Amino acid sequence: MTLSRRFTPYLYVAPLIGLLAFVFGYSILRMLEFSFKMVRGIDGPWIGLRNYELVLGQALFWESVGHNLLLLLAIPVMVVIALLISLLLYERLRGWKLVRTLVFVPYILAIPIVAVVMKQMFQFSGPVNEALRWLSLDFMALDWIGSGDVALWTVMLLIIWRESALGIILFLSRLLSLDEALVEAARLDGAKWWQRAWYVLIPQMRGVIEFYVVISVITMLSAVFAYIYIMGGGRGGPGTSTMVVELYIYNALVRTSLPGIAAAVSVMLFAVSLVLIWLLFALRRRAEDERA
Amino acid sequence: MRAGDAIKQLILIVACVLALVPTIFMLLTALKSQDDFAANKIGLPQVVVLDHFRAVLFDSPFLLWMLNSAILVAGAVALSTVVACLAAYAIARMQFAGRDLIFTLSTSLMAVPPVVLIVPLFVLYTRLGLISTFGGAIVIYAGLITPFSVYLLTTFFRTIPQEMFDAARIDGASDFRILRHVVLPLSLPALLTLVVVNALFVWNDLLIAVIFLQDDAKRTLMAGISVFQGRYNNQIPLTMAGMVVASAPMLILYISFQRYFIRGLMAGAVK
Amino acid sequence: MTRNLITAPGFGRRRFLQGSAATLGGATMGSLLGPLRANAQTPELTMWWWGEQELPGLQAYVDESIAAYTDATVTSMLQDTAVVISQFQTAAAAGNPPDIQYLWNGIYHMESVWFGYLKALNGLMSEDTLRASNPTILSNFGGNTYRLGWYPLPMVWYYNKDLFEKAGLDPEAPPATWADLLAACDKLKSAGIEPLGGGIQDGYWSEWYMSHAFVQTLDTVGEAVELFIGDKDFRDPRYHEHWVRLEELRTLGYLNVDMPSLELYPGIDLVVAGKLAMGQSVGSRLPADSTATNGRIGSMVMPVFGKGKLAGKPIVDMQGLGIAEGAKDPAAAAAFLEFLNTPDRLDAFHRTTGWIPSSSRFSSEKIENASVRDMWKAWGESPNITNITNLMPGQFYEQAAIPTGQQVVAGDLTGEQAGDLAARVAQEWREFNPDLVEKYQQWVVDLSK
Repeated sequence: MTLSRRFTPYLYVAPLIGLLAFVFGYSILRMLEFSFKMVRGIDGPWIGLRNYELVLGQALFWESVGHNLLLLLAIPVMVVIALLISLLLYERLRGWKLVRTLVFVPYILAIPIVAVVMKQMFQFSGPVNEALRWLSLDFMALDWIGSGDVALWTVMLLIIWRESALGIILFLSRLLSLDEALVEAARLDGAKWWQRAWYVLIPQMRGVIEFYVVISVITMLSAVFAYIYIMGGGRGGPGTSTMVVELYIYNALVRTSLPGIAAAVSVMLFAVSLVLIWLLFALRRRAEDERA
Repeated sequence: MRAGDAIKQLILIVACVLALVPTIFMLLTALKSQDDFAANKIGLPQVVVLDHFRAVLFDSPFLLWMLNSAILVAGAVALSTVVACLAAYAIARMQFAGRDLIFTLSTSLMAVPPVVLIVPLFVLYTRLGLISTFGGAIVIYAGLITPFSVYLLTTFFRTIPQEMFDAARIDGASDFRILRHVVLPLSLPALLTLVVVNALFVWNDLLIAVIFLQDDAKRTLMAGISVFQGRYNNQIPLTMAGMVVASAPMLILYISFQRYFIRGLMAGAVK
Repeated sequence: MTRNLITAPGFGRRRFLQGSAATLGGATMGSLLGPLRANAQTPELTMWWWGEQELPGLQAYVDESIAAYTDATVTSMLQDTAVVISQFQTAAAAGNPPDIQYLWNGIYHMESVWFGYLKALNGLMSEDTLRASNPTILSNFGGNTYRLGWYPLPMVWYYNKDLFEKAGLDPEAPPATWADLLAACDKLKSAGIEPLGGGIQDGYWSEWYMSHAFVQTLDTVGEAVELFIGDKDFRDPRYHEHWVRLEELRTLGYLNVDMPSLELYPGIDLVVAGKLAMGQSVGSRLPADSTATNGRIGSMVMPVFGKGKLAGKPIVDMQGLGIAEGAKDPAAAAAFLEFLNTPDRLDAFHRTTGWIPSSSRFSSEKIENASVRDMWKAWGESPNITNITNLMPGQFYEQAAIPTGQQVVAGDLTGEQAGDLAARVAQEWREFNPDLVEKYQQWVVDLSK
């Protein structure tokens, strides 16, 4: 191999390494560094584990974590909805392609847009409550946005509404790629719809369901900022009932001038994400091995 | 069987209705006058009013915000695609030390939550005067979407039959020529998917936009929506008109290019 | 000044000679550079500001003033509410601040003073202009003034005169004591009118409630700071009485049902639209609101329940402008600020915004709107106090001031529990920000004068 040949690959990957080293490498190292300092503005004195101590001893932090964990309850609901709709679509009844197009619209709309619309719909004197009252279902006309007890569930409702659409498409694609022969065999054997689904189809979908669950977990823990920011009035309200870890970091950085604290929480969130990434990879490797 | 089918269709219809209700509400409200909405929150507009759309399109910064978002999308997607093509080509088809390590590291970065990067980058950018600059934001977005691009392209490049390379090399082509004239043309579907997914990510982002583009003139559409709904929260039909205008680009693209969207988003869900 | 230098302790003859040599040298250099500087380009200034959001028309005023100013080229940038302070502070820390910065009152700029980001204005601007602009006591630290007053924000309680009449209340005599208020609410409720409230979903109503109600429990402004930093305790019944009163309003059913899910401005609109009898508002809305209702919106001071010396006084907050420590040409920046305070510019302010510029050089007789003029006579031209929520650290604001009101209104906390929350957050602030405690304590001394 000539010299130029030996170096060529490195030239090709150099831009990638440069970009990633800057955006990720630098950031992660600095984030670690800041988490051990009392940062004011752009730097500060070393204070060891004090930031971690303060954060882990603060009720608000644990409340935020608790809310992220509560959001995980959305996942079983999302899986059930996605399974149900995708299995029904798989029946390929008349007009199924139109349904598939329409049912995916929630995911096409950007989160800030749907959050703004939902926030208006669920006002105490808004359309949803008006409709409920008109149907004499007054007891269900809750203060969706304004009550500390309900607000987080309202956000969860929005998340389920939007994220299920993704599940539907994922599951349907998997179904459409399955070997038809199996399904036909089951049908000929006289199996009912739900029996076919439970015994034949769902077992074939295990890989994609696991995958969907893991990425949803990652989302609930670290990618709900946009939902909360808009629904919670920009502050995780009412009170602190919709505060989540991402908003905690944002507030610490931008609103209370404590970058060191923000960094400490970021480090902890990053550690949790690493575990989940590893899990995701393990699952995908298993799925690939199975398919092979 | 018939009854069973009817029930299934019913469920699907309910699903469609639930999926569309917010969009319909958004559209109907945008067409009502302020008083009409106050009196009549559900239901059709008494009189169809187009003033709010006029206000949004001509009297508000919405179009500017969309332009800003478009600039970021174009810049980040272009940068990321170039970087990813070069790297994926090397990883997929060349032998060199550290190849697998680089690929694994790059791919694992796909699931790093962007929020953990904002603290150090915000501080660095302030020091370098890069806050509220397109270039600065484009680099961050490109960084966030490139791992996925590399992953997708590498997987795809690996599926190109070895014979095509051998043939080209016999003809005396250099690596770069092969990339340009053999690999890229074959990769059009993958590239298209990539562009769709990445463009959507950058267009829809709120967190990075809100922190790194604070200047009023550089605000993106998503950040603008959050500002708009805050400033006009006592004028709901106007706010809804804004939302309609904001969702129009994506909805139009979706309806026209459904197939690519769905395929692209499925691949994107791999992120 | 020379005398002081010689007699000051530790100041030897040697240093005096060195000092005067430097001054002489400087003067010589200055005179040499004089002609050169006259030929230099006009200075370029950057101005970061806020306010169009709460005072429509301000952007037009800024643009017009910049265009009319020939002694420097000024570039302005309207900031987003969420980042006004953080953007300035990080820029200043990095050494790239704007020359002129918009500054909310109190801690919003005082923190920057403590970090060394702002220049004292008393050396740069004329004493007369500075004093006439009424920067308020909250702009002072260590004997220096750090802000020029730009426009005042009277904090008022709105009431709808039509609704008062409908309930049999005197529209020209709004309730003054707490007992009066409860009686009025009772009458309003019997007449089928929602008595008071607004919208608290975005949190600001909760902050304003502290401005009006919490201040009634205090004797001095410094006392508020002591509570925010934990030197005094919110668990003392005296200091959380205002939340107990809010709880009372809720349990008696006097707050509007929409309050928890509605935002601040739509909430104020309820009063203007005749759907709510009383609510908290801000003076800068009055011109538009009184025009829309033909003067049927009245302004009142919050009815008194508290026994502190500050109870019952009208509240006037002040938005201001300052000059960054890192400004490249502070004198030029100061000159622009002086320009904004010339009579012509002050009139222009009123013309473009319909609002009152903060300067005693602007006569209130020029105010066109009668309701605004009356309000200003009672607020701006009478003894008034400042907005004490400007004194709280950001952490207290986010984690106590906002959540307490919201949760009391929603029924999630009692008044006493709100006091507990506030006390806890004050302690947390102390632990998270040990480097600022002393500064605040020094500020208390300044504010208690």
